[in-house]
Amino acid sequence: MTDVTMIVNGQVRGASVPPETTLLQLLRDNFNLTGAKLGCDVGDCGACTVIVDGQAVNSCLMLAGQAEGRQILTIEGLASREWLHPIQTAFENSGALQCGFCGPGVLLSAKALLDENLNPSTQEIRDALSGNLCRCTGYTKMIEAVQDAARLLREESRTQLTHARTEATAP
Amino acid sequence: MNEHSRVLERDELEIAETLRSPDVDLRLPPVLPREPYPIEPLTPDARQQTRAVGQRATRSDARLHGLGQTKYIDDLSFPGMLYARIKRAGIASARIKRIDTSAAEAMPGVMAVLTGKEIPTNSFGPTFQDQPVLADPIVRHAGDGVAAVAAVTEQIANEALAKIVVEYEPLPAVLDPVAAMREDSPKVHAPNSNIYATKVVRKGDIEKGFAESDRIFEARFSTQMIEHVSLEPHAAIADWDANGRLTIWATIGRITLARADMARTLKLPMSRIRIIGTIVGGNFGGKNEISQEPALALLSKKTGRPVKGVFTRGEEFTATTTRHPIIMDYKTGVSNKGRILARQIRLVLDGGAYCSWSATTLGKACILSPGPYKIDNVVAEAFVVYTNKTMTGAMRGFGAPQVCFAYESQMDDIAKALGIDPLEIRLLNAFDEGSSSPTGQVLHSVVIKESLRKAADRFGWEPRS
Amino acid sequence: MKRRGRGIACMWYPIGFTVDANASAATVKVNEDGTATVLTGTVETGQGSLTVLGQIAAEALGIATDDVHVVSADTDTTPMDTGAIASRTTYVTGNAIWLAAEAAKAILFETAAPMLGVKVSQLEARDRKIQVKSFPQRNVSIGEVAHRSQVVLGQPAIGSASWNPPTVAMDPETGQGKPFATYVYATQIAEVDVDDETGEVEILRIAAAHDCGTAINPMLVEGQVEGGISMGVGMALQEEMLFDANGRHINPNLTNYIMPTSLDMPEIAVDIVQGYDPTGPFGAKGVGEPTAVPTAAAILNAIHDAVGVRVTSLPATAEKVLTAIKAKRAAEVKQIPA
Repeated sequence: MTDVTMIVNGQVRGASVPPETTLLQLLRDNFNLTGAKLGCDVGDCGACTVIVDGQAVNSCLMLAGQAEGRQILTIEGLASREWLHPIQTAFENSGALQCGFCGPGVLLSAKALLDENLNPSTQEIRDALSGNLCRCTGYTKMIEAVQDAARLLREESRTQLTHARTEATAP
Repeated sequence: MNEHSRVLERDELEIAETLRSPDVDLRLPPVLPREPYPIEPLTPDARQQTRAVGQRATRSDARLHGLGQTKYIDDLSFPGMLYARIKRAGIASARIKRIDTSAAEAMPGVMAVLTGKEIPTNSFGPTFQDQPVLADPIVRHAGDGVAAVAAVTEQIANEALAKIVVEYEPLPAVLDPVAAMREDSPKVHAPNSNIYATKVVRKGDIEKGFAESDRIFEARFSTQMIEHVSLEPHAAIADWDANGRLTIWATIGRITLARADMARTLKLPMSRIRIIGTIVGGNFGGKNEISQEPALALLSKKTGRPVKGVFTRGEEFTATTTRHPIIMDYKTGVSNKGRILARQIRLVLDGGAYCSWSATTLGKACILSPGPYKIDNVVAEAFVVYTNKTMTGAMRGFGAPQVCFAYESQMDDIAKALGIDPLEIRLLNAFDEGSSSPTGQVLHSVVIKESLRKAADRFGWEPRS
Repeated sequence: MKRRGRGIACMWYPIGFTVDANASAATVKVNEDGTATVLTGTVETGQGSLTVLGQIAAEALGIATDDVHVVSADTDTTPMDTGAIASRTTYVTGNAIWLAAEAAKAILFETAAPMLGVKVSQLEARDRKIQVKSFPQRNVSIGEVAHRSQVVLGQPAIGSASWNPPTVAMDPETGQGKPFATYVYATQIAEVDVDDETGEVEILRIAAAHDCGTAINPMLVEGQVEGGISMGVGMALQEEMLFDANGRHINPNLTNYIMPTSLDMPEIAVDIVQGYDPTGPFGAKGVGEPTAVPTAAAILNAIHDAVGVRVTSLPATAEKVLTAIKAKRAAEVKQIPA
């Protein structure tokens, strides 16, 4: 058995698991975070995508032990209890998910992209989602939704900057 | 749940130095309130309009999808739940001489093993009941299941599969659908012919139509076998309770048919079966019938515990239905002006090892094969044949994408040969309101010419011949 | 070098299927606050059918999509349904739900008529109210009527109905008959670049014009078209299950079975063709499957337009296209007189 400790969605979580346990199994079976899906188990489909230290990774290809001490963001951590993430809002409003099974992975790939680049081109979005297979949507509305989310995030960061400046200049 | 693992309590943990990284705050979910995105109330306008039809209303399940809260089968679990796996034959055509499950049954953690002999009515199918739940004794394609195991973990179930010994007597296999049509071909469902359904549509006088034609075009087209690749694999949970009532949670698009099939295979009255269709993670025709559900039900009955089965991606390809490869022969007579006067079509559908939705596919492919055109003289014949390959069944379009590829490819060849613009030749031949279809049906709400013009406008189609 | 081509393909497709009866049943219950619950035996498989079915019930009852909750896919509670298959849900299940909603509405009207002092035939349901036609100011809320139906009159506003498309069996000898109730039509036009040195095909854009009768939810129709096109792209260029000589599948995984990713998809422009089918719910037909029908044909015609070769077997992989280009060149060389 291997003891693993990591930060999952901002909380310290730990478990003792057989060494062959994948990060996906750890998240789903031990932490009951079932948002990440098992679609192929060999890293082809991207349904298990989570964010590890800022990078979108296939959690079916990563051993739980390799996630030791790292920051994990799963789809369950994207929204807070009160607030949706702009990516979620954009995907909902544009009908970008159909059966939804690939959704958590797609949203997290989009999040990893937008964390690095708030103004991605269509091609950059296509590249970022290329590891997430979707059979329902043809990706078209997903790409539009990521663009919408980027716009919302840009507006938000402007608002926050203005807000910060106002506070800084306040007497 | 892995039974060997445990979740540590929070106070057992120390926040290690290694956990600190300089960009922690950047990576954590935002703590600043985001004004425009409250969970409640967020009901976009389109969902609040009282003329509901025509609204771009957001999906009722979109919120849960985006939050990762939609529960698919593999996200559900019940106390005491076991995991099932099915052993696949791995041989395309054979007779099972012997199955020895004793070593698997003796393994710690294995709770039950099931073979085809134990299934009350070991056959199902939406048109012909020609498909076994578990092959017994004839294996007709490599993806046929031969035994099923229920164990406390998926890993143990997998290990148990390796310990099941199956002795086969290999039988001749037929893989090519045209070869399968010959009298002397090996029979997939002996002694019956491999041609298991036919369809014909005749209209007008085909010979006269060809005689009146200025030009005759002949070509053969063929298509490939395609898998649905729903992102969610086939999955189900069966719970046979102490009252003898069976509840099945399944990724299935047709619960009414599923209940009828379960009642038939298990010899149960419908009142004792409950099928709950969860949100299906993609169907496209691939989840229109039962597959492993009767086996899961019987494993649950044997063990008194709920049993979950989830197909691997490999099983999705080898053990579920696929799109029919079709060999399509087209002979079309046209006038020099480009009017189609006669069309003769012969379709051979590769039906794979079992019928599934082949009869429906055959009918649609045959009826649609002349294309959306006014043709007075038509003969379309279609055959579907058994081969020792993965069964073909329903898939988005039921044969229509295949025949559309053929009739539209030939349409362009005709246009090119006659020097007519491809859009023009289609407008010349396309159905009008009130046109008679190849089956003699008077068509209504026909807007094909509108669709041709609209797509051409949008594309910026410039006529050239 | 890269050569550009364009290809057009149109199609027809029946709504519902032909072999057996194709019935759906539904129940619509109007709650005491004027919202409604729909029971249907169909299953949400990703198309958004439950949203569309809710819109149909809402339209019939004069309430909003958000006022309707759809309960689906439980054989213990929901009525029979032929299922999420054959592009039938909007058309067949939709009709059943429409009829069930009309039956529930008839009960509401019977209750409301004496409340408003008019005949049942003078009433309509609009904006969450039951009102007198041409005198919308004379009205009573649906919730009040539903409550009164249930509590005072002992007649809950629950409607049930089933619907089976009218068809005529085909003659076994000639195939003549009316196998389907209705058909939809569509055209797709593709533009491609074909590299004549490698045979590689890049799809640049696709214009798609689809008929679905009334589009109950245009956003979901677009989603179906875009998704169907992606399946057509895979069929045209990439996907194929391969077997060895012994009948064993040799590419049963997504590493070797290639399907479209976000990098393979062209720009798609979707147009919904204005249509109305009097036999469908509010004029609707269906759209799910037809979206995948003409794509491969359009792409293959575009390849033909680009490099002058007719690939007759799918998928048109780069190898196949290149082989055809080489064969064409060889034939052209032969034709040059010595």
